[in-house]
Amino acid sequence: MIRKLSALPILIFLVIVYFLYSGLSKDPTLIPSPLIGKTIPEFTSKTLFDGNTITSKDLLGKSFIINVWGSWCYGCSIEHDYLIDISSKNTIQIYGLNYKDDRSSAIKWLQSKGNPYRRVIFDSSGDIAIDFGVYGAPETFLVNEQGVIIHKHVGPIDQSYYNNVILPNLRK
Amino acid sequence: MITEIGNFLLSISASLSLCIFLSLFLKKTISNEVRFLFCKIASHIITFLIFISFVLLSYAFLTDDFSLRYVANNSNVSLENIYKFSAVWGAHEGSILLWVFVLSIWSSCIVLFSSSIPKVIVSDMLSIMGILLLFFLIFILFSSNPFDRIFPIPINGRDLNPLLQDPGLIIHPPMLYIGYVGTSVPFVFAISILLNENIKLEWISWLRKWVISSWMFLTIGISLGSWWAYHELGWGGWWFWDPVENASFMPWLAITALLHSLIVSEKRGIFISWSILLAILTFSLSLLGTFLVRSGILVSVHAFANDPERGMYILIFLSLIIGLSLGLYFIKSRSLIFEKEYTVSSKEFILLLNNLFLTITTFAILLGTLYPLITSSLNLGKISVGAPYFNFIFSALMLPIVFLMSPAIYSTWKKTNYSKLTKKLLTFLFYSIVITYIFMNFYFKSDIFIVYLAMSLAFFTIISSVAKLLLILKNSNNKKIISNIFSIPSSMLSNLLAHIGIGILIIGITLSNYYSIQKEVAMQQNSQILVKDITIKFVDVKNKISKNYTSQVGVFDAYINNDYFISFFPEKRTYNIQKNIMTEAAINSTLLRDIYVALGENLSNDTWVVRIYYKPYIQLLWYGVLLMILGGLFGIFGRNKLEKKLNNDS
Repeated sequence: MIRKLSALPILIFLVIVYFLYSGLSKDPTLIPSPLIGKTIPEFTSKTLFDGNTITSKDLLGKSFIINVWGSWCYGCSIEHDYLIDISSKNTIQIYGLNYKDDRSSAIKWLQSKGNPYRRVIFDSSGDIAIDFGVYGAPETFLVNEQGVIIHKHVGPIDQSYYNNVILPNLRK
Repeated sequence: MITEIGNFLLSISASLSLCIFLSLFLKKTISNEVRFLFCKIASHIITFLIFISFVLLSYAFLTDDFSLRYVANNSNVSLENIYKFSAVWGAHEGSILLWVFVLSIWSSCIVLFSSSIPKVIVSDMLSIMGILLLFFLIFILFSSNPFDRIFPIPINGRDLNPLLQDPGLIIHPPMLYIGYVGTSVPFVFAISILLNENIKLEWISWLRKWVISSWMFLTIGISLGSWWAYHELGWGGWWFWDPVENASFMPWLAITALLHSLIVSEKRGIFISWSILLAILTFSLSLLGTFLVRSGILVSVHAFANDPERGMYILIFLSLIIGLSLGLYFIKSRSLIFEKEYTVSSKEFILLLNNLFLTITTFAILLGTLYPLITSSLNLGKISVGAPYFNFIFSALMLPIVFLMSPAIYSTWKKTNYSKLTKKLLTFLFYSIVITYIFMNFYFKSDIFIVYLAMSLAFFTIISSVAKLLLILKNSNNKKIISNIFSIPSSMLSNLLAHIGIGILIIGITLSNYYSIQKEVAMQQNSQILVKDITIKFVDVKNKISKNYTSQVGVFDAYINNDYFISFFPEKRTYNIQKNIMTEAAINSTLLRDIYVALGENLSNDTWVVRIYYKPYIQLLWYGVLLMILGGLFGIFGRNKLEKKLNNDS
């Protein structure tokens, strides 16, 4: 009896290790967004560089990515090279949503690091980001040609984002 | 240069740790004396080398050496010096270095304070410490190296996370780590006992002091974290059942159980196998905590590093160490099972119940913490259990534990005079119910059943412990009170102090939870609000510029019956570099209540969201914890009877 009981800790332990292991391969920051399956919120704003008006309708037509970023955000600098990499593939358009930033430092940031964005929506007040349900920068939304959000990623993206999220959706 | 020296020192330490570990397999070939001498000297050298590398990293921070990636990512020229120093453990790499530094200090302490233990056992303990050190050193060298360079060298660093720029955060992590890592001592002891299949009761009393030390540091670390969350984060609470808080709380519960089962093992020579298992469990939970914090597999306010690769490394090590330990336990533990008779009314039985409840509580919290992982790996969706689950299950399991404290104090070993015990306890229980009734009825005019229950149990514990203290003082023949206090056996004193502390803690928690007043209102300048009997007037918001942040400081005047009483200056800081916004609440504390004012969002020119809390008796929480820590100190530094007897015998 006691011998059997003393094997119990090992069993419990193995179960826990299994769960920990399976947890490692999953992304805890994957927060289901109520916006998934819905059209992107409407907005009218100015672009970062030239200050021209940009509206949500201007984005539609092809599937695209909206990347929420700011020059103040550490995670954004981590993912920046991947964004540039994605934009150089020319398979999908990337729009930037410059979140709670000031214009000159945002422009300077893009000039020094390279600009992966087709156009950058300037959202210094953060109002548009609120409509998108943004938790914090960086966040990345994948939107199809009808303007329906099909995926949301919280935190910096990496290589797997292109391979596992964008590519499968492009093939559809 | 710092990079090379740092890497060199850590590599030497790693090789030495490996040697210490390997000496375990040369037990038969080299003499005990030689092996002990080697393990002893090598352990001290490792501690020294890691200390130097720690100093080097601190030096790099203080001299703004941004050629180190870690420094560049976590410091800034404009950062105050004290925060440059605490930034050493402000992020992943440095905190792992702190981990291993503390581990090496504990192993040196084993060398220094183990004269009463045979050298074979000590050498084995150091060997096991060696493999733990080796793992963390390899982890540092290959995947979390704080000495890595960055090129090009940035002109300025990215600054320390503003959340961590706080005095509480300078000592919270080191204290917590000392406690966390301290659980390695009972662990290596347990493994050595299993390896040698031999145990003597006086070794257990040796172990008890280590367990108390680690328990005390964990208590300090956890409560500092709570204190910090309450005072600085502006969250208005002090405990959130966040995965990382749980990660430190589970080892605390387990080591508390161990503390109690060791008393039985020491006095009666039973529960030894169980104590050994608890020692393994406690350290496993510490490792699990490190894994949870460092792998970022659970979303938490503390999870700064999200890195599955690092997580995988810790997971593999954790599985190996714990798996092997439990396997060893499975094979060898039977030789450590001793049976002696005891009855249901005995102290043994009450402590057994205590252990049972503490272990169940630990697992309930473990289940809640890992719940999101479990549901997501079974594809049931991502479900987190929040505070309601933890609050309910924790209080439900705590009630019997607290109730058992008084009988545990008055019961005796083997068999207790049942009628005498019940008579005494019923008297105490009667008094505590009366006190609760008077207090609650006249002061709070409230009739929440659970509050009455918790308060009665808390008073029950306090009254029983104080009565016991008085009883001992009365029985000793010395007339002077001061020398009488010192004549109380320190283990008894530490036990009573800690239990009184728990009682006071419970009163603080219960009252502040159930009777706090929270107001979250939009206030215009020059408007006022009444909280309890205090009128709080919003006077102004001023701008303040500091070295590395700018802040808006609210000015609030408080009046009692139209008499000016105090001003509050809550702040909202914006840090220059990371642009984070931090709330600094303003708190006025007395023993009876805290008033807590925090500045929220700026709605329009002169209108702000203001959070005001009135929390009765919350200070008792911190006083309770202080008493527990004091109890711990007596437990460590007081000489216990058995030790005296041994010294007299020899």
